[in-house]
Amino acid sequence: MKPTKNNLNIYSLTFRLPIIIWQLLFFVGPVLFMVAMSFFLVKNYRMTEAFEFINWTKMFSKNYFWDSYWFTIIIAGTSTLLTMLIAFPASFTLAFKVSDNIRRWAIFMLIIPFFTSYLVRTFSWYVILAEKGVINAFFSYLDLGPFKMLNTHIGTLVGYMTLTLPLVIILQTVTMANIDRNLIEAAYNLGCKPKSIIQRVIIPLSKTGFIIAAVFCFILSFGDFVAPFYLGGSQEPTLPILILDTTKSGQQWPRAAVVAIVMMITLFSIAFIGIMTAYSKSFKK
Amino acid sequence: MSYKLVTFKNVCKNFEKIPAVKDINFDIGKGEFLAIMGPSGCGKTTTLRMLAGLEIPSSGEIRFNNRLMNNVKPHERDTPLVWQSLALFPFLNVQENVEFGLKMRGLSPKIRNKKSLEWLEKLEVKELAKRDISTLSGGQKQRVALARSLVMEPEILLLDEPLSALDAHLVIRMQAVLTQLQKELDITFVYVTHSQSEAFAMADRVIIMNVGEVSQIGTPKDIYRSPTNRFVAEFVGRNNILSGKVYDIKSNIAYIKTNAGCFNFQLDKNKPIQKGDKINYIISADLMNFSSVKPQKSNIINCRLISEEYVGSIVTLFLESTDGTEFKIQITERELSKFNIQNGNKYWLSWSEKNVHVLIEE
Amino acid sequence: MTKEKYLNFILITYLIFIFVFIFTPIAFSVIFSFNSQRFPTIPLGNFSLEWYIKIFNDPGVWQAAINSVIVSLVTCILATFLGFCTAYSDYRYRFKFKGLYLALVLLPPTIPLIILALAMLAWLSKIGMSGQLWSIICAHSVLTAPFAMAIIRLRLNQIDPDLESAAWNLGGSEWATMRYVILPYCKPAIISSLCLTAAVSFDEFAISWFVSGLNKTVPVIILEIVQGNIDPQVNAIGTFVFFTSMTLVITAQIFFLTWQMKGKNK
Repeated sequence: MKPTKNNLNIYSLTFRLPIIIWQLLFFVGPVLFMVAMSFFLVKNYRMTEAFEFINWTKMFSKNYFWDSYWFTIIIAGTSTLLTMLIAFPASFTLAFKVSDNIRRWAIFMLIIPFFTSYLVRTFSWYVILAEKGVINAFFSYLDLGPFKMLNTHIGTLVGYMTLTLPLVIILQTVTMANIDRNLIEAAYNLGCKPKSIIQRVIIPLSKTGFIIAAVFCFILSFGDFVAPFYLGGSQEPTLPILILDTTKSGQQWPRAAVVAIVMMITLFSIAFIGIMTAYSKSFKK
Repeated sequence: MSYKLVTFKNVCKNFEKIPAVKDINFDIGKGEFLAIMGPSGCGKTTTLRMLAGLEIPSSGEIRFNNRLMNNVKPHERDTPLVWQSLALFPFLNVQENVEFGLKMRGLSPKIRNKKSLEWLEKLEVKELAKRDISTLSGGQKQRVALARSLVMEPEILLLDEPLSALDAHLVIRMQAVLTQLQKELDITFVYVTHSQSEAFAMADRVIIMNVGEVSQIGTPKDIYRSPTNRFVAEFVGRNNILSGKVYDIKSNIAYIKTNAGCFNFQLDKNKPIQKGDKINYIISADLMNFSSVKPQKSNIINCRLISEEYVGSIVTLFLESTDGTEFKIQITERELSKFNIQNGNKYWLSWSEKNVHVLIEE
Repeated sequence: MTKEKYLNFILITYLIFIFVFIFTPIAFSVIFSFNSQRFPTIPLGNFSLEWYIKIFNDPGVWQAAINSVIVSLVTCILATFLGFCTAYSDYRYRFKFKGLYLALVLLPPTIPLIILALAMLAWLSKIGMSGQLWSIICAHSVLTAPFAMAIIRLRLNQIDPDLESAAWNLGGSEWATMRYVILPYCKPAIISSLCLTAAVSFDEFAISWFVSGLNKTVPVIILEIVQGNIDPQVNAIGTFVFFTSMTLVITAQIFFLTWQMKGKNK
């Protein structure tokens, strides 16, 4: 049976309406209000409703805003690239080198961290990476170190990967496991070397899945404030930290809204470009 | 037909402007076993679903006991259906499945228990009452599905290709179960199928449908021996159909010229035929004679044997005449064993002018 | 052949290393929670329940735990209800603007939490709902309903499309069919969804932190402790949090996998 055509009655509306009402009230409402808020004024720590561009012009004329903007894009981009590269051999192994059963169990395991407290995991890294932490204690046995990892970009990247690596491995594995094995066999029989099979068969066939994984990875890193704040030291604030500071300390909600809107536009553009390239490339073939 | 239980009058059904059923008219008698047959996409299942209220006719009238049913909701009808997928509830056990309809009617658990066991017993699956649906075999599921519908004790039972998922030997057994049940309970059965053998083996009357229209209604014998149009003649199968032109009529015998040669047939008083008419000349495969020497008759043709097909003790031979026309003939294996047959050899086919069925081409 | 074996060995070792990286923070958090050192490192200090006793005697932690349970319990029921309704509407009906309708439901998880948090805070203050447990619940249900919708929709994908019609055909009204056919059929997915949405809500800190006001949940307490100083209490609380959410996630997966397998055998 195909889905029934639109017929409006009490029964169908009972199931259709709740989410519409709920999302309008608690999703569309807040987001639109935030957009409106970016035009409000703040006087004597009090927000008044208005329609002024002052928050936008103020933010856009500040150097620290642009520094922070590019820094966030670069560090999230680096993190995405690194995560994709680090995940690939692991996903490749899961997709091609282990039994279906082991793969299922591995994915089962990888889902667990995705739904467990990111905050506590980050704090755990904080202790492990610290100057007197577990890793440096280990190095001191070898008469090395101590290495400074906390409050550096390495710390931030470790934090981002805590968040994104399991998800990226899952997406890459599922993508590659779905490639038709016959194609790989065929390439192998035609004399392709393993290295060129990866380059010429596996990667082109998994392009869409990989781009989607990268987009997700970027969105998560770009929007995360915990890793750069606790592990990266926040000397160079990322945009999320900027929102945090502006909202929590300065009471400057409208300016925080400006930052948030810029972030959303950036993310949607990147996601859009990513998805367009993901699908257009596979179209040409 | 005794009493008209169901009437379809000018019924049409369109899906998004695409017609699925076009202006169909027929009646279903009380206690009748009616089969609706046709190729896939002919509208037979849509017709059945309209009867169950699962589709609303775009126009026309469907009456049940003379009551207009067009806008009666499915659950307010008493037209249980046996589904092609069976659609047993996987989260309920056998007995709970059978009780489902009674529960929806608000009957007490005591009566539900009694009735469901009674019907499971009638279908010889009482010992499965507490079993999980997923543990049953195909045939057992079939019986449970029947019990689930029959426990409603309806006036009419709808069946949508219920045997299509079963093995061949089980199909034969279930056919016997169905015909026997139908006679015993005196319920009207409407049976949708694409299988000619199922329809002809069980039904009192058969409706042949094609591209949303009724092609022919009649008893299995009518349809088999006297198809009223070329579609039915071809669909019923095992018919040799030749196209030709009448070139002479002498007393009650007409002569026709086809690509395969000249043949004749006996005229029917009810079917006026004139010289120059274009006609379809149909001889059923089982009414043909087979021989290795040339018979001294009028309707004969020499053909090369191409292949043979055995179904039980009946053999279908496929032959080709010199001009390339294909002929089919059905004979018993016993009769065939009298000949020393070999593919590629030539044999003679012949038939009586009385066994020819003709259709005037429009 | 030996070369390939060698390569396989390297790949498997690498895979194990990656899993170690992913599970290291979880493992150390648990280990440190039983460690006597104020700043845990190796070699480890003595086994100690000090941090557990400390949080056990902290009424603030207790209050936060109660708040967290209330929030995730109400959120999971609300989100699963919303997700079920949406999944069923998508399965059963075609209607105008369905693409927009689905986008509306599925969009929230793609927006960074910090942005949702800011938007929520501003909006809820505007309509006078800020600073209560209800504020967190509303925000969390928006965030988690898409997960519920996805899980239940996957289950409905497997349903025999005739099942619903079969129930009508046997005299069940649409409502009775919902109660006696669709809901029982979706039960494993509903349980999965309840667990998973509860887990997400239980761990979420950004939105909770922004909108909770004085009604702190456990992740907010952790965030505040972490902001102050290194305090192994966090590990003790964290261990509790891990085991709660892991139990929920694993339960969800077990239910999910059972019906996935059953679906395949059909």
